[in-house]
Amino acid sequence: MRSDPFLIAALVTTLGALVLIGWFLLRRPAQTRTTKIVLLFGIGVLPLFTAANGNVAGYHATKTRQFCGGCHVMTPYKDDSENPASKGLAARHARNAMFGEENCYACHADYGMFGTVTTKMGGMRHVYEYALHYHQLSLDEALPKIHIRKPFPNATCMRCHSTENPLWNAVGDHASSLQEIRAGTTSCASVGCHGAAHPFSNEIHERQRMTP
Amino acid sequence: MIGWIRRLLASSERLLRVSAVLTIVALGLMVWSMVVPTVWPVMVAMSIGQALGTSAFVLYLVVVARDLRARRREGGE
Repeated sequence: MRSDPFLIAALVTTLGALVLIGWFLLRRPAQTRTTKIVLLFGIGVLPLFTAANGNVAGYHATKTRQFCGGCHVMTPYKDDSENPASKGLAARHARNAMFGEENCYACHADYGMFGTVTTKMGGMRHVYEYALHYHQLSLDEALPKIHIRKPFPNATCMRCHSTENPLWNAVGDHASSLQEIRAGTTSCASVGCHGAAHPFSNEIHERQRMTP
Repeated sequence: MIGWIRRLLASSERLLRVSAVLTIVALGLMVWSMVVPTVWPVMVAMSIGQALGTSAFVLYLVVVARDLRARRREGGE
């Protein structure tokens, strides 16, 4: 079992609530003011703490690669990220401790003031799409149909690779296409530059494109 | 169904018992999502679990509000 402090706190408050509710259900006490106060804790206060801890723990869980790879159509993406031999951008970033277990979220999250909210809304859309359209498909059927919804923004790369570093600018291709990179008109993940984040996926789409 | 709801609402004790059982189910779902933090447990806990927990607390508040009103009425008479 994980030693997550939110989990431990939630288990403690849950246990407390269960003791109080158990006392009410099994002992059947008279409905006095004391009973109501006990139930206020059993039904209201303690479960509220459990829910709050559960929400935070759930929020953290939804950021992990394990969670993203939970749907079968995402398994190859997760496996590619975890593959130490993979040279794709996703795998290379997953090997960086700053991204680690949350590398899917770190790159695919929206940033800005309401970034978390829009990211979670996008995640709900994924769940909806998966439940209605992809759940019943085999991997071979699903993978050619999976596309990133909108072009991957360079701004996400630039959160770490600021384009201001002299070492970065010393690279000829960076210097020559600096404006296009900053404007997002040339993708960092294009084939002539750093290549696809998930190379296997690109190969599938390329094969599909070539098939008459 | 409507008859069952009327009977349920008529008895404060029954309401509290239903509320207590709903809370147990909600707590179970929430703990499940934390012990097994995969897609479906987390989704179920954050939707159905939260809805059940909130409903349970609303039932409890209904009983408390009804008691307060009854007590106020008794005080007025």
